[in-house]
Amino acid sequence: MIRRTAFALVLSMVPAAAMAEGTMPQMDFQNPLTTAQLLWMVVILVVLYFTLSRWGLPQIGSVLERREKQIANDLAAAHTAKAEADRAVAELNATMKQAREKAQADIAKAEADAKAKAFADAKVLNDKLDAQLEYSEKQIAEARATALAAIKPVAADVATTLITRLTGKIPDQAVLAPEIEAAFLARKVA
Amino acid sequence: MAGPSIDALGQFRLSTGLGPLGAAVNFTNSNEAMLASAAIIVVLFVLGLRSRAIVPGRLQALIELLYEFVRNMCVDTIGEEGLRFFPLVFTLFSFILLGNLLGLFPYFFAFTSHIAVTLSLALFVFVFSTGVGFYTHGFRFFKFFVPEGVPVWLLPLLVPIEIISYLSRPVSLSVRLFANMTAGHVMWEVFAGFMLLLTASFGILGAFASVVPLGLNVALVALELLVAGLQAYVFAILTCLYLHDAVHMH
Amino acid sequence: MGSNPSITSVCYKGAENRCMNESRDKETFEQRLAAAQDRVGLSRPKANEAQSGAGAAQKAINLAMRLGVELVAAMVIAVVIGWGLDRLFHTKPWLMVLMVPVGMAAGLRNLVRATGSKTGNRKD
Repeated sequence: MIRRTAFALVLSMVPAAAMAEGTMPQMDFQNPLTTAQLLWMVVILVVLYFTLSRWGLPQIGSVLERREKQIANDLAAAHTAKAEADRAVAELNATMKQAREKAQADIAKAEADAKAKAFADAKVLNDKLDAQLEYSEKQIAEARATALAAIKPVAADVATTLITRLTGKIPDQAVLAPEIEAAFLARKVA
Repeated sequence: MAGPSIDALGQFRLSTGLGPLGAAVNFTNSNEAMLASAAIIVVLFVLGLRSRAIVPGRLQALIELLYEFVRNMCVDTIGEEGLRFFPLVFTLFSFILLGNLLGLFPYFFAFTSHIAVTLSLALFVFVFSTGVGFYTHGFRFFKFFVPEGVPVWLLPLLVPIEIISYLSRPVSLSVRLFANMTAGHVMWEVFAGFMLLLTASFGILGAFASVVPLGLNVALVALELLVAGLQAYVFAILTCLYLHDAVHMH
Repeated sequence: MGSNPSITSVCYKGAENRCMNESRDKETFEQRLAAAQDRVGLSRPKANEAQSGAGAAQKAINLAMRLGVELVAAMVIAVVIGWGLDRLFHTKPWLMVLMVPVGMAAGLRNLVRATGSKTGNRKD
């Protein structure tokens, strides 16, 4: 601070030295031109002031204002465009997600449908086969029953013939019949 | 000693300009320089405002730079109310700046090196800012000379000091500008005259030796360029400051 | 049936990649937009900062030019007032002598004000 002040004081000596040098035209107030220049300065300054304050400065101000407005508008436009773009991207993503979900649902549905159809087909076929099997079994049983029924008289005949030939006498049918029946039962045929 | 003598002050001598017509109405050579300064400002505005482009050209950028510089100075120093005084500050700043700069050119009269000119400008600022103070605050503006928070018995001593300090404003404002501009121009003239003296006294040897004052003058050009801008700035910022005091009273 | 999920996942991966590129673009765009808005909003304070930074060197010269003038100016005014009052009241030269210390005090007051050591944020 003190050094700065000292430096300042030394510098301030310079104009003082200049003033000490003889008579200065600036101090010559006897010269009418010294005061006459002030009159013209006032005229020039007043004209300059009104030119600048009424025309020049407002014009510059309007140019600067217009620029500021333009920049603000452009930035706002950029903002809206960005928001729009963001919205579009979000919409796109949503649509894509929706489409993907729908496709997956479709696939699952098709799969389930196919499964159900196959199951139904198989059931129909099974039923048919079961029915056929049942019918065939019934037929076999019937044939067997028929065959068995046919074999009993034959067996009685054969037994009668065998006994007759072995013993020479005709067996009593009342005794023979339960015997044959027991033999059938023993062989679990009937 | 025969030969040229150093006439450092002749450059400040007033004469009439613009031929016989100027002589008839006492239009001086300093007024010529003032007219040229004002004309250059107006021409700069005309050229700068020709296109009014969103993206400014060079001249438009220059004008806008000046505009914003002074405008910010007003708003920063005085506050938002400062915009009322913006055209005035701009006029003073540009006028003094152009006057200082034009004065640096050979054959141009530096009108800011005349105490009569700077004193009348400073007195105008002083009277105007005092007027603004009384217009804004009425007679309460006298409180400006009463420092706050001092014992009453000190006031008879402090109030005159404050008043003299206040009254010294136009003097320091004008003397600063006048002295700076005068000193620079005198030094130029002294060094240039010294070159002539050296050559006249020592012939060819002196001509070689005069490279030293020539170099000093070249260095002075840079300094004076700085001073020209700085003093215009100081005048403008002090004007703003005085207006601040008038508007805010502290 | 089994190949379908893998195809969709490949598609999804591609979309993600594109999304990442987009997000990077968006980020830089957002940064640039914010920067542009900052420039508009903060251009003035920034300019002021630069001014005050460069102003430090100027301030010293500025001050140098002022101080001597400030001191002398107050003294001149004081002496002129004293001289005028003397003439008015025919008290030559006492009021002028009285005004000299007052003028010196006023000059010091100017210095204090100019260096800003009292009022802090003053620029003069």
